[in-house]
Amino acid sequence: MTTEQAAQTVQITINGTEVEVPAGELLIKAAEDAGTYIPRFCWHSRMKPVGMCRQCLVEVEGPRGTMLTTSCTMTVNDGMVVNTESDTVKKAQEGILEFLLINHPLDCPVCDRGGECPLQDQTMAYGPGESRFVEEKRHYEKPIPISELVMLDRERCILCARCTRFSDEISGDPLIEFKERGNNTQVLTFPDEPFRSYFSGNTVQICPVGALTAKPYRFRARPWDLEAVESTCPHCSVGCRISVESSQNQVLRFNGVDNDPTNQGWLCDKGRFGFEYINSTERLETPLIRGEDGELHEASWSEAIDAVADRLGGFKGDEVAGIGGSRNTNEEAYAFGKFLRSVVVTPHIDAQLGDGLAPEFIGGVYPRATIDDLERAKTILLWGPDLKEELPVLYLRVRRAAAELGANLIVIHPRNTGLDDVASHTVRYRPGTGADLIERLVAGTGELADVREALNVGPVVALVGRPGLAEDIRLPEAVAAFARDLPEAMVLPLVRRPNVFGALAMGLAPNLLPGPAEITDADARSRLEEAWGPLPETDGLDATGILEGLASAELGALVLLGADPVADHVDPVLAAEAIGEAGFVVAIDQFLNDSSRLADVVLPAEGFAESEGTVTNVEGRVQKVNRLIPGPGQSRPVWAILDDLARRMGGELGAPSAAALAKEILTLVPSFSAVGWDELDWGSGREGILIEPPLRYLPVAAGITQHAQSGFSLHLAHTLYSDGTLTGSVPAFAGLAPEASVHLNPGDAARLGINGGDLVRVTGDAAVELPAVIDDGLVEGTVYVPAGRREARALGSTLAVAVAKGTVRQLSLEGGGS
Amino acid sequence: MTSWTTDERVTRILGSYPDKRSAVMPLLYVASKEYGYTTSDAMRDVAQLTGLTGAQVQSVASFYTMYKRHGVGTYLVSVCTSISCMLRGGDDVLAAIEDESDTPDGETSDGGLFSVEHVECIGACGGAPAVQVNYELVEGVEPDQARAMCRWLRDGRPDVVLGDEMQELFGGQRSFDWGPKETEGALLPLPAFEPYGTAGEGR
Amino acid sequence: MTAILTSRMVAYPSDSNTIDRYRATGGYEALRKALAMTPEAVHQEVKLSEIRGRGGAFFPAGVMWGFLAPTQPRYLVINGDESEPGTFKDRQLLERDPHQLVEGIIISAYALDCAKAFVYIRGEYPKPARRVQQAVEEAYAAGLLGDDILGSGFSLDVTVHLGGGAYICGEETALLNSLEGKRGEPRIKPPFPAVEGLYAKPTIVNNVETISNVPWIITNGGAAYSAIGPEGSRGSRMFSLSGHIRNPGNYEIVMGMTWRELIYDIGGGIPGDRDLKMWIPGGASAPWFTPERLDDLVTHDDVAAAGSMLGSGAVVVMDDTTCAVKAAHRIVRFFAHESCGQCTPCREGTSWLERMLWRIEHGSGREMDLDLLLDVSDNISPGLRWPPAMTTICPLGPSAVSPITSIMAHFKDEVASHVTEGRCPLDH
Ligand SMILES: Cc1cc2nc3c(=O)[nH]c(=O)nc-3n(C[C@H](O)[C@H](O)[C@H](O)COP(=O)(O)O)c2cc1C
Ligand code: SF4
Ligand code: FES
Repeated sequence: MTTEQAAQTVQITINGTEVEVPAGELLIKAAEDAGTYIPRFCWHSRMKPVGMCRQCLVEVEGPRGTMLTTSCTMTVNDGMVVNTESDTVKKAQEGILEFLLINHPLDCPVCDRGGECPLQDQTMAYGPGESRFVEEKRHYEKPIPISELVMLDRERCILCARCTRFSDEISGDPLIEFKERGNNTQVLTFPDEPFRSYFSGNTVQICPVGALTAKPYRFRARPWDLEAVESTCPHCSVGCRISVESSQNQVLRFNGVDNDPTNQGWLCDKGRFGFEYINSTERLETPLIRGEDGELHEASWSEAIDAVADRLGGFKGDEVAGIGGSRNTNEEAYAFGKFLRSVVVTPHIDAQLGDGLAPEFIGGVYPRATIDDLERAKTILLWGPDLKEELPVLYLRVRRAAAELGANLIVIHPRNTGLDDVASHTVRYRPGTGADLIERLVAGTGELADVREALNVGPVVALVGRPGLAEDIRLPEAVAAFARDLPEAMVLPLVRRPNVFGALAMGLAPNLLPGPAEITDADARSRLEEAWGPLPETDGLDATGILEGLASAELGALVLLGADPVADHVDPVLAAEAIGEAGFVVAIDQFLNDSSRLADVVLPAEGFAESEGTVTNVEGRVQKVNRLIPGPGQSRPVWAILDDLARRMGGELGAPSAAALAKEILTLVPSFSAVGWDELDWGSGREGILIEPPLRYLPVAAGITQHAQSGFSLHLAHTLYSDGTLTGSVPAFAGLAPEASVHLNPGDAARLGINGGDLVRVTGDAAVELPAVIDDGLVEGTVYVPAGRREARALGSTLAVAVAKGTVRQLSLEGGGS
Repeated sequence: MTSWTTDERVTRILGSYPDKRSAVMPLLYVASKEYGYTTSDAMRDVAQLTGLTGAQVQSVASFYTMYKRHGVGTYLVSVCTSISCMLRGGDDVLAAIEDESDTPDGETSDGGLFSVEHVECIGACGGAPAVQVNYELVEGVEPDQARAMCRWLRDGRPDVVLGDEMQELFGGQRSFDWGPKETEGALLPLPAFEPYGTAGEGR
Repeated sequence: MTAILTSRMVAYPSDSNTIDRYRATGGYEALRKALAMTPEAVHQEVKLSEIRGRGGAFFPAGVMWGFLAPTQPRYLVINGDESEPGTFKDRQLLERDPHQLVEGIIISAYALDCAKAFVYIRGEYPKPARRVQQAVEEAYAAGLLGDDILGSGFSLDVTVHLGGGAYICGEETALLNSLEGKRGEPRIKPPFPAVEGLYAKPTIVNNVETISNVPWIITNGGAAYSAIGPEGSRGSRMFSLSGHIRNPGNYEIVMGMTWRELIYDIGGGIPGDRDLKMWIPGGASAPWFTPERLDDLVTHDDVAAAGSMLGSGAVVVMDDTTCAVKAAHRIVRFFAHESCGQCTPCREGTSWLERMLWRIEHGSGREMDLDLLLDVSDNISPGLRWPPAMTTICPLGPSAVSPITSIMAHFKDEVASHVTEGRCPLDH
């Protein structure tokens, strides 16, 4: 051992055995890692110790004799002598257990936690046989809903404060707290202020008893009936590790898995409860073909494959385009790209929907940050989406870095964000004036002098993305170009959909080949052509170009893979028109959504938990997704569908399984050369394998759109819950999405004579009228419209909009009020 | 939110602490004055002033016994029944007051005139048994005197509750010499103390 | 009798609380003297005085001051939460001689290099708080508080903070949480307040009485103070006498007399010349004494050697008509009511004990309850020693055990006969 290592460890004696443990570690953790488990309830490795439950009492020899002390609050010292099993310790621990049980209802048979309850386990192991407590137990109203998702049973609560600490310390929305004191202490919300946190489900997971339960899971299964597999959350690009649990082929629960580099055990509620869509009765079970009558009819797989192959074969290769892949696995994305580039032979491929970032920037920005770099950052610059709404667990990581680890956080956004309360500086700017703001930051004078000074302390992690959908796609690159010069700077480009990075690495972009490599990269071309055959020579059209091409009939056919441009493209009106005009549209999907509903053929795909594969998160970490249940009806894996299609069209994907595709990727896609399929399920591979940014793209401050000085800027941004197809099929989320609305700064509202609730007319691509919300967190000259609302779709995403008081409808006279 | 939150006293209280969360307790008293007791609205106002959630303010308020969760009578009569007062007959004083005011321990009388509560030690053990009316103290109260005091409160309805006055009329043995006569007393069933004098605020 | 703290209020009953009287009797001269000294020298005098904390823990104040971490800002907090049943000495000091405290605060803050001090007064003490607030305002007006005090360059602000009704806020870290606008829950120590206290900054917490002694110590010198009283229990100290005693009240005495002198000579004995059954020597937390200890000395060390403590200086005397179970119940009820609730043994255990005692007192005790009382107590305070071993964060939980160990040690038969007779044997 080197001396450096020696300094980092200390020698302690646990129950007579000397062990070496990391210096500064809490005794409870050090002992556990050394093989001695000390019982505990309140301690949680991701939260500050509070030493309240007192279950972890042990004896430690000290200068004034042996002392009982809580091991969760005691840091190890060199030479420390600990006894965790003396008679005194046993009596104390059993005493605590008895105290915890005297007021506990012991209703294990009807409790969701029964079977996986630490209190129950402890009681079985060490608990008192018979109760010596003859007084009346504490009584509270049985489970009360404290939010749309969570129920609270105070009689079961052992007051360990895990939930309250999580909400306060970790998620930053302290909506559940202790109330009263002493023997009347209870956990509760405030009247009219429900536990409406995006992270509430974590409290259910970490509750050591069945006091907090999740409505989507309550009474659905007993723990011993559950089958589980570790996987990666399919909802956004953070790629949180999860345990997927099912019973009788129904997915019933996601739990967070503690993974150091990504989620550290936490999940957002969308990730946690979103699984309900998997079990939805709306899932596609058979192929559908549009008949003479204009309706979609069930068909056999062979009919459907024939129909698609025949129709696609009727177009020239470059009259066909493909959109999608960013919600699929790497293997599926690879198969999609190979199908389009080598079987159909078209360059028109895009995994993004005009709402993302430049592919070379996502795939290659350099130097690149990982999420875990936040742990070491001294300064964090966040100029991008409101992380709480779009990448929730990344929000938790940034929050931790700023609130717990002391990093200076600078948030630049048009509106207040979830992180403002832990930010050292917040700067609001009007969308479209970013270039100007960058210039002022470079100058670092006036009111930005402080910000500039804070930015001069490295390591700096810059999190950059589009704050809103109307913002210029090149703004993040300009920000990155500025940030790159800051001390020890690293940049993380932010995109929202789960596998954008992976899809781009597999070449699902008009200007990239798998690698990702530029189309003109001779090495990459020759390597691929050897395996795939001849490839298109030029860049293709991006999603917007494809839709325009379809609308103008320059393109003929569209293949959609798990994409819904009518709902998700930045210009939904164009998307609807394009799909309507297209000669032929085939959609490989799990649902009939706003786009697949308009397709000529719909092919039902297996989805999350039904087929295996790998995914790549926002930082380039490749992780495994695993199969637990069969897909519904005749649904099939995406790669198998594409393989059949290829074969029917005279080509070959060579894809007998996802694993086989992964092997091919490993040899053909250089950045994936170290991504061993099998390793991802074991050992350190479970933390994922980080791929190097393959392109080495050095951002430069390209010209970006500046907003015309008159009128308003549009800030169109996602909220965690919206009315998208997936979230729309999750009953638990009903009613959680904010209403379609227009937010106005109070000053602007006053000038326009608009009050909260008035209708406001916003004119962009087309005019929409929505109720006003007066929002003092919003910068002047800007209207904020939550994205993803049907009522707002026609607005499009042009930056400059006109705003006026809406038509005053006499609602009261219309009667009915419905 | 009512207008009290913009009062100068609020600014002063907020200004006397390095961190505005510290102002929660004094502000809860001011808010309780405005709303009569520590209502949800009172807590919501305080939450807004201190940047906390309602749950956080409720958590603090409910920890302490003097932020009342329910309406309180004009006269809050607190009878000490802790050890020293118990030894000197505090339980009998409580019984006498419950009876005379027709208000059971822990409740408020029908007309809202009295609230009666037994309390733990109020630091008047040398003058046991001791009683507080709106937190103004009377020491050495015998059951009959306690009854007389209830009648006096009911009949006289004093606007200001003065400890000295009650002590003279109904009190006995004191913990110590009270010193100069006080002219300040309680106007409400809340401790009559203003933390926002001239002292050190704004620093 | 040496009267350090109470001489002014005794001599001038009608206006000892005013700044004029205070100044007329030498007040704020100690401050002048201190400001002419270095802060270290002031600290040194306090150390020399050997004064020990009057809040209950009896820790040498000068030593504690030495632990104050060197970073700024740092705070001085005065503990005026006095809520230990039987204790009412701080109330007298606050009401009757607030300037003595204010002067002590200024001198102490000067020695400790604090620019901000807080006086935390329990919520049920509005009158003492008014008097202190008035004194603070008078001091500001006289240039004794605020910027550049008496031209010394030293500045200090003082805020008077009223509690909300919670005994546990007397525990110093609970007090700090409360002052931060949080629930009054004691913190895990270490870190001690001197290192991480108010707002996680270095903080000294001292009792009202401790700090009220500081002006005298500076005027007369630390050595003069340590010349008074026996070793380990220097200086004079306020004792609050209550219960079955003829002359209840506060007495400033020099430690070292016998309990017999304190109870019979100073306290005047038991009313009705009844027999002394037991007394609590130092507040509700302390294990009780019975008459065989009457000739023990009233010093910190002697009381500790006998398995109890002087604690907050509250002596509660009980005569032979007192039911031991009822008295114990009343005290355990107090602790159950005041438990902050964070520690399982205290939250669950104190109210379990309280309910058991109530049953026994009211004739529904079971045979097994006697052992159960002790076993549950043992799970809160293993070994049932004093000073207590604890399964809790702070000593409140273990304090609740004192009355139980006391009655089981001295009046076990009486407790048992409650069970066997199904009623209180003293009710005739
Ligand atoms: C449960 C409990 C209650 C306490 N109550 C008081 C109190 O009311 N007043 C007080 O000054 N100290 C009280 N203390 C002691 C304080 O924690 C602390 O030791 C004291 O304020 C330090 O000041 P001193 O050294 O000047 O005594 C209490 C301690 C405990 C454990
Ligand atoms: S012992 Fe009791 S009062 Fe002290 S911290 Fe624990 S629960 Fe709170
Ligand atoms: S786990 Fe240590 S006290 Fe709860």
